Amino acid sequence: MKNDVKFLWNRFSMREALLLGFCATFIVLTKATLRMKLGISGHSMFFMTFFLLLARGIVPKTGAATLVGLLAGAISIALGLAHKGPIIMLNFVFPALVIDSAGIFLPRFASCFLPCLIIGSMAAATKGVAEGIVLFFTGASIDIILLRALIEGAWAAFFGMLGSLPVPAIIRKLRTNRLIPAPGNGKGRASSAE
Amino acid sequence: MRRRMTGSDYACQYRAVDSPVHRLSAGWKMLISAALSIWILVVREPQPLLLATAACFLYYFFARLTLADLWRDIRFFLFQFIILLSLYLYKLGYPEGVWPGVRTSIQIVLFFIPGIVFLRTTQVSSMMKGLRGFVPYRILFLLFTSLRFVPFFAREMQEIFMAQKLRGARLSPQDIRRPVFWRDIFSCIIIPLLVRALKTADEAALSAEARGMGAHPRRTYYDVQELEKILASKEKTIQPTGK
Repeated sequence: MKNDVKFLWNRFSMREALLLGFCATFIVLTKATLRMKLGISGHSMFFMTFFLLLARGIVPKTGAATLVGLLAGAISIALGLAHKGPIIMLNFVFPALVIDSAGIFLPRFASCFLPCLIIGSMAAATKGVAEGIVLFFTGASIDIILLRALIEGAWAAFFGMLGSLPVPAIIRKLRTNRLIPAPGNGKGRASSAE
Repeated sequence: MRRRMTGSDYACQYRAVDSPVHRLSAGWKMLISAALSIWILVVREPQPLLLATAACFLYYFFARLTLADLWRDIRFFLFQFIILLSLYLYKLGYPEGVWPGVRTSIQIVLFFIPGIVFLRTTQVSSMMKGLRGFVPYRILFLLFTSLRFVPFFAREMQEIFMAQKLRGARLSPQDIRRPVFWRDIFSCIIIPLLVRALKTADEAALSAEARGMGAHPRRTYYDVQELEKILASKEKTIQPTGK
């Protein structure tokens, strides 16, 4: 199978695009099956950050996390898991954009512990931004918006950090077993079909 | 006959009833939802807000959705309502902080209601049909495939979970609560699931490429009825007209 034939955005091969789609599926599945009724804001960021970082590590190309975020949001809406309606897309896309932006400057961050932790918490903290945007349009005062965004963002960042902890070890394990390529390595892995 | 309040299993679940809202196309529903949401965001005074509230609830109940559905959809926002009201009372004091806190909280809830009505009255197939007009087919293919594999991976996760438990992995509900056993979740469930996903992506990509997916700028669809029409018209041209 030719891994270099681009299927999507002149960047991802069909295999990579499907893999990213499956990462989006995992985000939705974990969201649906592990609905933790903790009553703590931001706990959904645990698995979201985990799979977004994993997706970026498995397909080390710019746009990978964004594609996963878009697909996960669309699947959530399609399956009726979006309790806030279509605007829940912001909760998926903002963290993904942060991860992709970080990947431009640090392509190998997914296999390093500290950068992964920092980027994961930053990505998860964008949940506060999404809340802030809605509050802004309802005419709430700036300090209320900031307070609310800070509370949401802080909890989300905490869970995002927890979610990013296992990612480097998993990525290294997959790379050691030659299941995924390293970033900057143009050669794809040996296909299971070969 | 006493009307029984039936509910749904989860928030924003599609409700299969017949209503004027259900019969509208996805495009019109999105337009109405967007218009209502914008209206809700711009009102600040009590009377227009009351009008907007009435319009939202009218739209909601016009879709033959029940009070139980409404409670299931908006109960999530109760927590947010309490936090916002507390923040306003902390900032402005009592009673100056009451109206802004209540108004903002109500606006947030109402803002999401039109979107919730859209999800509750639109089937996935209608949504996808509406998207076909302007979303590239490659993205739609990915979306449909990912949706299609949701039950597959749910089953895989269950099987991996059961197999690993039989092998002695600490995955019981009591064990999962202890952080020392979280390692088992990742090494016994997540990694096998990822390996399975890699293999499935290989096979699915090979299968799709063998059918020519992505080979051309526009895709074709296998339509049995269309094929039968073509075959029928060809038979007519081939058959001799005997009188």
